[in-house]
Amino acid sequence: MTIEYTNSTAIFSDSVSVEEADGLLDWIMKNPKGKVDLTQCQHLHAANLQVLLVAKMPILALPEDHGLRIWFNAATEVSLTEVKKTAV
Amino acid sequence: MNALLQQFLSESRDFLQGISEKLMQLEEDPSSTDLMAELFRFVHTLKGNSGLFDFPEMTRVLHASEDLMDFVRHGDVEYSQELADQLLEGMDFVSMLLDEIETTGEISSDHADVSDQIAKQIRALIAAHNADAADEQTVQANPQLIEADKAQDAQTSPAVNLMLPESVAFDLFRRALTQGETFIWLVYSPEAECFFKGEDPFYLARQIPQVVWRSVAVSDVPVLAEMDAYCCQLIFQTVTTCHLAELKELFRYIPEQVQFDVISPLSFICPAGHHDGGALVHENFVDDAYALIDKRDTQGLIRLINTLLELSGAELWSSSVLRWLKLVLELMPQHVAVLTALLDALQTGNLPDWQAIADRAGVENEEERVNQTAAVAIVDNFYDGDILEESAAELSLEVDEPELDEPDDNVMTQITETSSTPAANASQDPPVDPQALANQNAALAAIVAAQREILQLSNNCSWLAGRLKGVASALRGCCEALHKTLEAEELEAALTQALEQKSSAPLLLWLDDYYPPAYVEPVDEIKPAQTHAKTAAVTVDTVPATKDKVAAAVHHPADLTDAAKTMRADDPHVSASKTLKVDQEKIDHLMNLIGEMVVAKNALPYLATRAEAVFGVRELSREIKAQYAVINRVAEEMQDTIMQVRMMPVSFILQRFPRMVRDISRKLGKDIHLVLEGENTKADKNIIEALADPLVHIVRNSLDHGLETPDVRVAAQKTAQGRLTIRASQESDRVLIEIIDDGRGIDPDIIKNKAYEKGLIDEATLERISDQEAINLVFMPGFSTADVISDLSGRGVGMDVVRTAVEKVNGSVSIDSQLGKGTRLSLSLPLSMAVTNVMIIESNNQIFGVPMDMVVETVRVPRSQISTIKQQKTTVLRGKIVPLLSLNELLAQDVEQVANEDDELATLIVRVYGENVGVLVDNFRETVDIILKPMTGILGGLSGYSGAALLGDGSVLMVLNPRELI
Repeated sequence: MTIEYTNSTAIFSDSVSVEEADGLLDWIMKNPKGKVDLTQCQHLHAANLQVLLVAKMPILALPEDHGLRIWFNAATEVSLTEVKKTAV
Repeated sequence: MNALLQQFLSESRDFLQGISEKLMQLEEDPSSTDLMAELFRFVHTLKGNSGLFDFPEMTRVLHASEDLMDFVRHGDVEYSQELADQLLEGMDFVSMLLDEIETTGEISSDHADVSDQIAKQIRALIAAHNADAADEQTVQANPQLIEADKAQDAQTSPAVNLMLPESVAFDLFRRALTQGETFIWLVYSPEAECFFKGEDPFYLARQIPQVVWRSVAVSDVPVLAEMDAYCCQLIFQTVTTCHLAELKELFRYIPEQVQFDVISPLSFICPAGHHDGGALVHENFVDDAYALIDKRDTQGLIRLINTLLELSGAELWSSSVLRWLKLVLELMPQHVAVLTALLDALQTGNLPDWQAIADRAGVENEEERVNQTAAVAIVDNFYDGDILEESAAELSLEVDEPELDEPDDNVMTQITETSSTPAANASQDPPVDPQALANQNAALAAIVAAQREILQLSNNCSWLAGRLKGVASALRGCCEALHKTLEAEELEAALTQALEQKSSAPLLLWLDDYYPPAYVEPVDEIKPAQTHAKTAAVTVDTVPATKDKVAAAVHHPADLTDAAKTMRADDPHVSASKTLKVDQEKIDHLMNLIGEMVVAKNALPYLATRAEAVFGVRELSREIKAQYAVINRVAEEMQDTIMQVRMMPVSFILQRFPRMVRDISRKLGKDIHLVLEGENTKADKNIIEALADPLVHIVRNSLDHGLETPDVRVAAQKTAQGRLTIRASQESDRVLIEIIDDGRGIDPDIIKNKAYEKGLIDEATLERISDQEAINLVFMPGFSTADVISDLSGRGVGMDVVRTAVEKVNGSVSIDSQLGKGTRLSLSLPLSMAVTNVMIIESNNQIFGVPMDMVVETVRVPRSQISTIKQQKTTVLRGKIVPLLSLNELLAQDVEQVANEDDELATLIVRVYGENVGVLVDNFRETVDIILKPMTGILGGLSGYSGAALLGDGSVLMVLNPRELI
């Protein structure tokens, strides 16, 4: 398991695979006030990313992996400014 | 080449054959849903298989074909000739790719364009249909295709509506103008079901190089409770400075899901904010501003703007415009058009059309180029793709802040001071602290690693020089930042050297000197993550949970495409095949072994006889014989089975003809109906393969010379449609193949005259020969009736080649034709070449074999009945004169044939080229089945022998080839 669930936190580690997305979604629904800890996360499959984005999960800690972190910075920034799909 | 790929190649060929076969059948019966379903399945499987390998070009074409077939299958698109042509063309392309894979092991990316084009043409057929049937449902059924079309359109129009945060836009605008960087806007919208294909869009997005700005969002955010975790709605947007080609390479598998645009610098000017308030103030301001622009009072205008900015709220759209105005004033004050456009925007509240202005500005630039500063000239310079130029600066910044501020950039700091947007403030760099220093080191390592990677790429590309310069400039940037001037100087030397040598080696050396590979460590940490992601992607298909999701997607009412696409997963799969594919070599080897076994087994009776006669052990002899009976039975069964294994249906070679006939008849403007009969007739693989080329010749001949064009046929009171029949049947131990056309037939007179003209026959023969004999002249080498050599026939080698090829496998060919009615060519071939029935004869104390199929009879001719005509011995056999030849003479042995006690000579009557010839031998022996091995090496040149075989007692039997001998 690359996601470890505690009462209030989902702790991601290594590379989170696509199969985790379902479980993550379930956990979020059961723990609406949950938070995520990405410190040890190297990569997460897009499906997981999508679940986190849709649920607007509060991120307790950003990943140490800088390549991943800049994407999370970008993602949270987007959700703040509510940039919708760009019309092209 | 690995086994899987090999299997893929052989299977793909089968599938391609199947596809073209089904297409042909569909042409006969366009309404058959079974055929359609089967065809779809072929294409579907082939596409799936190709996806296992790294052949995106192939997969793309197949995918397009599959989509098209899916529409056809559901009756949304009608089957047509055009469609078949298009699909066949696609399949030809795939077949070409297969050939390339077979020879080189990969597909060169040169084919990407062709592949794209073919895929587009195929998709165009779907799109054309959609345009025709403009009803709502169909449009709903394939929104993706339409979206893809839109994306295609959009790609041609460079106007991009960027949604960048102002500070980022400011920075990029500045970089574009002052450093001449080119930015590419990339929108990647993965398709909804991409997770089921084992894709990880996020991973792919992370691979985009040199990203200067990025965002990821979810399009129409669903309610969490109703969310489908496996329906991808992500949209990735990035601005990158990398080369367009790199992006194309990265997204080569899914070009339809991404959109790239080169951003013109003006497109960055995209003010954002609230629209209400401040209009009155603006009107005064605009008037004043115009006046100042006229006076070219830049400083005055900037002061004016500053004043106004202090008065109005920072969140306002108008304030954003003002800030842009200020930046434009600073960077390109000469561009009055841009300034006025921004002022106009202030008044109207609408964004100006930058594209038009950029065009105009470009023209102005041309005129003013001499006076302009370099910074402004860059506007029309933005297609210059200097890669990596700024990667040093960029990477070092990415580490900390996504906004990418340049710490040393005084101007930028100025802007952040004057502008008061929170984002801009946030982007201000913290003072240097230990953390920042660590970051800097990490960034340096990342840069060095990246440059090393780039340098390690192949040197064979046209943009090598640009790449080297890019790397050098990135490294130069590092040196400068670290104040290492000595290194920088050596770097310059290395660069010049590298450019001269057209190789990255000198730069690599430099890199190794100053930044040994160990330096790269921090970056390597990313790699395990990548591998993980890959394995994760691969395992998707094996997870049972995802299957349920597929089912769920089918019931999802909102997305019809989803349902349509996932239905394919439910398609009945080809049932597990019970067929085993074996390399022919192995079968050949097995057959040889069995042959030897048969021969070895024949030694047992000899042994039994010896046991009894020489050693006098009768008991043992009997036991050996009993054992022999068992071994004999098994060996014969084995032989029989291996023959069966080697048997192939004639359809193997016939299946290529529908396509060929279709293509050629179209080319010649003929209407020809091809009938194939007895395709299941089986014969040995070697025979079948030997048949292939002659058959092609014959069919081409029929198409070109035999069958007439429709109008000629109608004039001759025949049906407009010609008929070509290829019939295969089995006649005892021979396969008979007939090629029958109902064309114009062969005119014996024309043949005779042509042959005479070409000097193939003399005048006497010309007068004497019968019509049938005349027709047989077409088999003469060098004969051709066509006056003009076409690409189909007329080279005068055709029928000669046919006969030679057929005779090589002990076959025969005959032709009969009726003028005006048609022509029939019959090929008769042995079922199997493996076992040859020969008669053993004795001559000059040696034994020889003669193939039984040439032996007509054996007679003993009394010496008294042999008469000599013109030094040629002859005899009269049942009222016919038969020439007699002595085998010893034929084999150049100066010995008389031995007669028996009654002074009769053993005569073997063989049939050669339709005539009976008597061969005098010493004695006849039994007939045996042997496994004929063709002669190899020096002996191979002896055409008088067709081969050799081992006999049961271990002796070698030479088998004669009377055709050549006589």
